[in-house]
Amino acid sequence: MPDIAALRKQAWDAFEQAGLPTTRQEEWKYTSLARIGSTLGEAWWTAADPASLDDADIEALAIPELDAWRVVFANGRLIRGATHLPDGLTLSPLSELLTGNAQQAAVALQWQDDAPLFNGTLAANSALAEDGLCLCLTDGVKLDKPVYMLHIAGNGGASHLRHGLWLGKNSEAHVIEHYAGVNEEPGLTHAVTLVHLGAGAHLYHDRLQDESPKHFHLGRLHATQGRDSMLSSHAVGLGASLSRLDLAVDLAAPGASCILNGLYMPTGRQHCDHHTQIDHSAPHCISREHYRGVLDGRAHGVFNGKVVVHQGASGTDSAQSNANLLLSDKAEVDAKPELVIHHDDVKAAHGCTVGQLDDKQLFYLKTRGMSDEEARQMLTFAFADSVLTGMRVPAVRRFIEKRAFSKLPLGADAEAMLG
Amino acid sequence: MSDNAQVEHLVDKKYEAGFVTDIESDTLPPGLNEDVIRHISAIKGEPDWLLDWRLAAFAHWKTMSEPHWAHVKYTPTDYQAISYYSAPKKREDGPQSLDEVDPKLLETYKKLGIPLHEQEFLAGVAVDAVFDSVSVATTFKGKLKDAGVIFCPISEAVQEHPELVKKYLGTVVPTGDNFFAALNSAVFTDGSFVYIPKGVRCPMELSTYFRINASNTGQFERTLIIADEGAYVSYLEGCTAPQRDENQLHAAVVELIAHDDAQIKYSTVQNWYPGDENGVGGIYNFVTKRGDCRGARSKISWTQVETGSAITWKYPSCVLRGDDSVGEFYSVALTKMHQQADTGTKMVHLGKNTRSTIVSKGISAGFGQQSYRGLVHIGKDATGARNHTQCDSLLIGSTCGAHTFPYVEVKNPTATMEHEATTSRIGEDQLFYCKSRGIAEEDAVNLIVNGFCKDVFNELPMEFAVEANRLMEVSLEGAVG
Repeated sequence: MPDIAALRKQAWDAFEQAGLPTTRQEEWKYTSLARIGSTLGEAWWTAADPASLDDADIEALAIPELDAWRVVFANGRLIRGATHLPDGLTLSPLSELLTGNAQQAAVALQWQDDAPLFNGTLAANSALAEDGLCLCLTDGVKLDKPVYMLHIAGNGGASHLRHGLWLGKNSEAHVIEHYAGVNEEPGLTHAVTLVHLGAGAHLYHDRLQDESPKHFHLGRLHATQGRDSMLSSHAVGLGASLSRLDLAVDLAAPGASCILNGLYMPTGRQHCDHHTQIDHSAPHCISREHYRGVLDGRAHGVFNGKVVVHQGASGTDSAQSNANLLLSDKAEVDAKPELVIHHDDVKAAHGCTVGQLDDKQLFYLKTRGMSDEEARQMLTFAFADSVLTGMRVPAVRRFIEKRAFSKLPLGADAEAMLG
Repeated sequence: MSDNAQVEHLVDKKYEAGFVTDIESDTLPPGLNEDVIRHISAIKGEPDWLLDWRLAAFAHWKTMSEPHWAHVKYTPTDYQAISYYSAPKKREDGPQSLDEVDPKLLETYKKLGIPLHEQEFLAGVAVDAVFDSVSVATTFKGKLKDAGVIFCPISEAVQEHPELVKKYLGTVVPTGDNFFAALNSAVFTDGSFVYIPKGVRCPMELSTYFRINASNTGQFERTLIIADEGAYVSYLEGCTAPQRDENQLHAAVVELIAHDDAQIKYSTVQNWYPGDENGVGGIYNFVTKRGDCRGARSKISWTQVETGSAITWKYPSCVLRGDDSVGEFYSVALTKMHQQADTGTKMVHLGKNTRSTIVSKGISAGFGQQSYRGLVHIGKDATGARNHTQCDSLLIGSTCGAHTFPYVEVKNPTATMEHEATTSRIGEDQLFYCKSRGIAEEDAVNLIVNGFCKDVFNELPMEFAVEANRLMEVSLEGAVG
């Protein structure tokens, strides 16, 4: 029986040794965590008090008209579980596993210091995570509606969450991670999700980070994919004062494929960082990555996409693109699309652009009677929306579009434009 | 006499006799300290300000540690085991005829189509000084003088044009810029100096090849090129023929300065000894090259063909300071056997409406490891800046690697920046097509590779482009199959 206390101690020691990442480290060149430290102080490590939220609060934040199994976390603690689960699906809170099933809890809390995009925070999460959701799907089970995880950050403190998604052979699931907040005081959400896809499994994963503007967010998704499995991920970063998402996918068996789409729209003084790494460790895997950013105010956006093709990964097919739109002269974007290729039988491409709206398109819309502002709004929206077109559930897409749109200068008219 | 005493003695000698030419036959014992620098400065008969400059660079170098961020692996260099000054070899010391030269080298020369007496020159054969290059060089010198162009070894420029050297040296690559630049600043022994006066279009392509009196410039070369207002110059460095060199570490610094409306075109063909089949030996080529578009509407263009060296680690860069200035970078890099290259460019856009183009083609074969590392920085005030980057890699064989690390930093909303990269191997359908037309596999690969590199070769001066094509063919020999 694994010793959870020892595992936690080991993880904490590893964190103390590695420390928090600094801007001296290549992966953190453009993102400084000093702001979190100086704002939160000791509260960085102390768990937040479970918030008292009533159903009305939850409904106000949740995605409307979404038919799903809903699980609600407040300040890093599970407060509402899901019921009426179908056969083959289990949703176990980590807090229960920690006392009842150490074996599974140890699997959920695992970490390796050679993991892609590793830094001290991953070990710290293993040491500190108190709750989370462990989703297990037996072989061949296909869920007919999504599992919706709503995370609500209350006032102050830190929430360290650890989720695990284990999909058996040929199973299929759709998981939505939604991070929202009502807090006035700065706090930290630190969520790590481990994904394991069995052979032929399909996972649709939507991650919406829409926390309140004073909050800090550190997110991570590690996926290991089995033979012929498929991961379709949408990561959207809208909220938080400083947010960072590390997304690593290992295409570990032949025929695996992944689609990573992402959108970040920081405004004001927001700082939004997305780091992704796709490892092609096996032959005949396909990866597609498409991230877009819209930056306004004094916002700072960072995108780093790394594709690694290992030796022996014949028939690799990889394409990555990143496009950025700067709306203000104070905004800044730093992008680095990397390719590391150790094999010759590959097709790999990446592209990256930074620019502004096309004058011709603006002119066209204006000749059709739109005001300059409306035309800009519409083109900006279209630019951002193109990464969301592959989303599976219309209610989720519509919700994200509205939230994203409300960040644009004429956001109030969003409803009208969406029709 | 102990080493130290010897050095002191030599340093003292400066004050006795001023410019001492006899010393030139000396080779300093290995090691680096202030005395060595004083000695080099003394041999060169340098003014005090330059000695102080060197010493300041050395003091800074001592505080720095060797960088390791590049995607290359090599055995570390012991900087105290290098001799930092060795006078040019006398011709009599070299092989006396081509019969004494390594036949492999001669075979390569033959394939490249290099005329016989040039072969002798390249292989370091002690030939009589009366051969084509010399007479050509003398004719050229006259022409350049008429145009007002200064083209000479930098040590000569220090003596004859100290005001220009003092004004520009180290203004693009400061002494403390990086580890290797600091080292170079402290110990550089020679290099080229070019000054093109206002409004002059240099009447010919300048080439190190013709600057024969400085043929053995050693491992720490320093080049400084200044194009004054409205001037134009095209400068060629290196040549396609493989060059043998005993020095393992090469840490050169190249500084280019373009004033208003000036244009500098800098082309490099580098084909130093890459080491043997097992990756033993070979040159470490750690170079700092940077151009400063100081004036409005100025333009700096880098073109490089890198096929040699065990390790190539260089980023010819442009600082686009002047409004409407233009920076260009065209590169073909080939790594085969156990060669490693981490190369690319930096385009720093500071002025308004500045434009830059980056075209990088990497070919990796055998156990070669190749990285493109580039930075495009668009500053806050660089309104209307534009960049287009294209970097493509071609892989030949399953054991090689090609990597791309492009950095993009944009702080201005009116900037337009595009980056594209592709990596693939030679298309089987392309090969099949060529073979079905009766072209042998190796020729077909050459054809495809040359097509792949065409965008860059087109930027090379005419004769160089032809040679570069042939160089690729020769270099790829045996890499396919």
